[in-house]
Amino acid sequence: MIQLQQIHKYYGSQHVLKGIDLTVGKGEVVAILGPSGSGKSTLLRSINFLERATSGSITINGRTVDAASASKQDVLALRLSTGMVFQQYHLFKNLKVLQNVMLGLTDVKKLSPAKAKEISTVLLEKVGLKDRMNHYPSQLSGGQQQRVGIARALALNPEVLLFDEPTSSLDPELVDEVLSVIKQVASEGNTMIIVTHELGFAREVADRVVFMEDGIVVEEGTAEQMFTNPLKERTRQFLSKALRA
Amino acid sequence: MEKLLDIDYLIKSYPHILKYLPVTIWISVASMVLGIAIGLATALIRLYKVPVLGPLSALYVSFVRGTPLLVQIYLVFYGIPKFIYYFQTQHGWMTGIDVNYVSPEVYVLLSFSFNLGAYLSETIRSAIESVDRGQFEAADAIGLSRTQTMLKIILPQALTVALPNLGNTFISTIKDTSLVFVIGVIDIMGEAKIIGARGLAYFEVFIAVSLIYWPVCIIIERVLVIVEKRIRKYERSAIS
Ligand SMILES: Nc1ncnc2c1ncn2[C@@H]1O[C@H](COP(=O)(O)OP(=O)(O)O)[C@@H](O)[C@H]1O
Ligand SMILES: [Mg+2]
Repeated sequence: MIQLQQIHKYYGSQHVLKGIDLTVGKGEVVAILGPSGSGKSTLLRSINFLERATSGSITINGRTVDAASASKQDVLALRLSTGMVFQQYHLFKNLKVLQNVMLGLTDVKKLSPAKAKEISTVLLEKVGLKDRMNHYPSQLSGGQQQRVGIARALALNPEVLLFDEPTSSLDPELVDEVLSVIKQVASEGNTMIIVTHELGFAREVADRVVFMEDGIVVEEGTAEQMFTNPLKERTRQFLSKALRA
Repeated sequence: MEKLLDIDYLIKSYPHILKYLPVTIWISVASMVLGIAIGLATALIRLYKVPVLGPLSALYVSFVRGTPLLVQIYLVFYGIPKFIYYFQTQHGWMTGIDVNYVSPEVYVLLSFSFNLGAYLSETIRSAIESVDRGQFEAADAIGLSRTQTMLKIILPQALTVALPNLGNTFISTIKDTSLVFVIGVIDIMGEAKIIGARGLAYFEVFIAVSLIYWPVCIIIERVLVIVEKRIRKYERSAIS
């Protein structure tokens, strides 16, 4: 289980997250929707301390970390219990696909190369790229790179997977192969938080949907309820506009 | 009639000058290696904005870039013995060193690596900055430490970016070593001057010495092209 309590984030005087509370149960898939600039990425990135929230606390797996006073070990613990998939993939360009996936296992978890390779190969098979494991990222399509990104995020066997617009950089014809991998990962019982603009996908994959705007959670509910009968006018407007687009 | 060129003297002097090529090469290679180490340290200090050391590094780079190498060689050659002597007499430090017996090659190495470190720090710094932020974040996200990230991800890519520049710097260094004779180190240039003076055939020996520098630089350039191709293989795209 993962619990965020009263997360605030300031960039200088700009108040970007205004006290976010969010609880995600084990195996639950939560989609975060909202207009751009509403703080979705910042929220996701404050979970694994790519950004340090100004205040608030993050609990994963029974360990509560206070954002303002987190130690190095706290941060490392959170990073090991989260896996992140980036919009721009951010694969390590000097490493082959297999090494991209293995690196955290060998260098952070200190597994033997043989064991790390075994785990990584299984994951690459899962994302359909076992035959590309000796390629460099530059030799792959965007969709393939993002699937490697997903395998890399899965490698440390995290408590929760964080996806920040995983398909927003992809050519339209490559979106589906990535979405179907994410759906498969979701169906295997992984806990996931997904920021996305793909409403159809969100409705299909998410148990719960959170609508954010201007650094606050405007409304949240089950996917079914949010898409068919949102309570707040603002949610309704956003969804109908987004669905028309 | 006076000959334009004493070809015989040129040909005779060539092997004698060539004998000193190892001096030229080892000074260049050793200063380059030390220069890269100093340059990397300086680049990291400036990138991480280390207090005190950061501004000092900026001052160092600015000084080296703003003064001639020849002046730097003299400063090291005349300055360091003075400092050592001062510390020995005033503080009783470094008494194991006899400044009268320090080989001039030591001053050459010090001044060249001091000079190269400054230039290379700029090369290395911009190469590190050219690696996209996203890879630092991805490395953070899987829990790699800063050192691991540098060693495994960033520096290998920065090296590739910096390689053409490092190569050019190395070639310049080989040519710059022609200055070392001013403090008494005999390299190919130094030997050329000695032989030229002996036979009063300066034009001939300087042609001979050109015919050493030139092919050496061409060979290094060729080798660099090959190394670069090898090292850049990960950037080649879309083979699948
Ligand atoms: N590193 C940063 N420095 C300053 N402002 C930032 C930074 N990152 C994001 N912001 C600002 O925070 C707000 C929320 O950004 P973000 O979390 O990226 O929104 P979203 O992902 O919902 O589009 C925006 O106004 C953005 O300009
Ligand atoms: Mg965003």
